[in-house]
Amino acid sequence: MELVSEEFLKDAVELLVRLVESAGALVIFVGAAIAFVRFLDVALRHRHEPHRFVSVRLGLGRYLALGLEFQLASDVLRTAVAPTLREIGELAAVAAIRTALNYFLGKEIKEEQEQLADEGQRRTATTAVSPP
Amino acid sequence: MTAAITTAALLVTLAALVSAALALLVTRRPAVALPVLLDLLLAAGLLRLALQPSPTQLAGTALLVLVKRLASSGIRVAAGARSAPAGRQ
Repeated sequence: MELVSEEFLKDAVELLVRLVESAGALVIFVGAAIAFVRFLDVALRHRHEPHRFVSVRLGLGRYLALGLEFQLASDVLRTAVAPTLREIGELAAVAAIRTALNYFLGKEIKEEQEQLADEGQRRTATTAVSPP
Repeated sequence: MTAAITTAALLVTLAALVSAALALLVTRRPAVALPVLLDLLLAAGLLRLALQPSPTQLAGTALLVLVKRLASSGIRVAAGARSAPAGRQ
């Protein structure tokens, strides 16, 4: 006797995939909305400090990386019910591209952080050297 | 859900255009405005990928990441070239 029918399992996984995908989309949208508000704030109130744009972009990058992680999780969940070899191949291609996107995004965030730290040090040095 | 995500992606694209235009207007530096535009456009692209994406959509987003990396490398090289003669003086 079957404890859980295959049909039920498929429906349950499909629901989970939808939930995880929605969570990923929500994270990306919220991140973009927060970044937009902060961009407006920087542009209108801190117009003489362009380095602030970089720090907003870093925050946005973190949200995007998190959203991509959710999308990858949904890809992994989908493999649980992908019945044909073709479907599994397509999923593998999608997951590979998302993984590459995530890798490059992470690399870019690291580079931007280093750049921001360098600029901060340079600004501190300039302030310390300039006469009162 | 498709309609909601499409609308959200459209809103983020609009936000990208407004933010980049404002950044350019305020700083008058394309090197500041371009990354702002590309970052928010990438967010819109990733939103579109939230549903089961077609190979074309995936390739489009991957291309956007490539353009973003190229542009940021170009901006960094240009900034380095601009600051180099000043450092030598």
